[in-house]
Amino acid sequence: MIGLEREEQTGIDFADLVREHQSMVFSLSYHFLHDRELAEEVAQEVFLGLHRHMGDIKSGEHAVFWLRKVAAQRSIDAARRRKRRPQVALEEVAEPAARAAVYDPLLGELLRRLVGTLPETPRMVMVMRYQEDLAPAEIAALLEMPIATVKSHLQRSLALLREKLERRGVGGY
Amino acid sequence: MKPIRSMLLAAALAWLLAAQQFKFNLEHLEAKSSDTVDISLNSSTLQFAAKFLDSKDPDEAEVKKLINGLEGIYVKTFSFKSEAAYSIADIEGVRKQLRAPEWSRIVRFKSAEDGESAEVYVRNADKRISGVAIIAAGPKQLTVVNIAGSVDLDSLSDLSGHFGLPKLDTVQPGKPKKPE
Amino acid sequence: MDWLEEELRQALERKDPPPDFAARVAHATRVDSAAGSGRVVRVWPRWLPVAAAVLLMAGGAAYREHRGRVAKERVMVAMRITADQLNHIQARVREAKP
Repeated sequence: MIGLEREEQTGIDFADLVREHQSMVFSLSYHFLHDRELAEEVAQEVFLGLHRHMGDIKSGEHAVFWLRKVAAQRSIDAARRRKRRPQVALEEVAEPAARAAVYDPLLGELLRRLVGTLPETPRMVMVMRYQEDLAPAEIAALLEMPIATVKSHLQRSLALLREKLERRGVGGY
Repeated sequence: MKPIRSMLLAAALAWLLAAQQFKFNLEHLEAKSSDTVDISLNSSTLQFAAKFLDSKDPDEAEVKKLINGLEGIYVKTFSFKSEAAYSIADIEGVRKQLRAPEWSRIVRFKSAEDGESAEVYVRNADKRISGVAIIAAGPKQLTVVNIAGSVDLDSLSDLSGHFGLPKLDTVQPGKPKKPE
Repeated sequence: MDWLEEELRQALERKDPPPDFAARVAHATRVDSAAGSGRVVRVWPRWLPVAAAVLLMAGGAAYREHRGRVAKERVMVAMRITADQLNHIQARVREAKP
């Protein structure tokens, strides 16, 4: 009942939040976990959690912050519970023996796969940056880490991705 | 109709749990838990599921090999929001059954520091492993597992790297370490 | 933003969940509210009820396929939990060894 009153005061409707942000929450989880079914489960859990905490939500912006933060946490938890395959450091991703000179038309899929091999924290930083277009300061607040750490994760991950792509003959244009 | 319906439900439950080798008796913890996972799979369900396991997927191929010949898999996991939600008596009710002669404890650890403890038991029948039991207790979580049937400990061990399953230091069947 | 960052933005653009996602969330919140305590008793995947209804309409063979996938999922979850526990136990035993 308290939650309902709060909802009326702020004018925030739960169903509207689901409709408006389901893609964001699902995508955060999907790009992090690379598992559609698991991402759906995680996204559902996130919204269930939001429903239980609607009384704490102060505004639309707060809801977005809350959803991103919890989606990140739950996705990382799900990845740790999963542990189906060992985490492969980006440096260890196998490369073809010969350098490919032809541009890879499936670059998007390759990039998603390479991002998926990053360790959990830099992976979430990259997803927050490039899916949500968040600034390092915003990512730092969401993931509760120093801005310098966020920037370091971004720089290192980009450098590694560039190196891997160049080895495959995929370069800037 | 009600008594008949109750009997039918009881019969269904009995059939489902027929191969379970000891009673968990932990249903009363569901009301206190924030999250419960309850899986009961008898041999016909396992055989049916095996048809859908993909031999080309490394994890599923290993599981398919492992469940061949099993009579059942029973898992109950409780998560609690606060500590001390369950008691030693709850676990003791399970342990008592695993003190029966056919069960032997092969692994145990206990940590007073973080309040965690865990035990692994094997069931011996005719000098073969006929079941595995696991009790894993933490301040906010309790897991009990029974794998019933002809369990190949080497296959269980081979899941290492798939599910991160460890290679267990086991004792040979017929030379049990009896629990205290 | 250079070419790689631009490609990453495209590669990681938002994807939509299944069309019935919002309906499933609504159903889950109703169940949750009715339960009162916020407990979740998870015996099988959450997509089961909707998928089961759809496949029943599609016919027996498809439903059997669905039942098989559900059974497989439960086996995998059970083995995953078992594996996690044994892995944890092994790690703790190793820590304790002198």
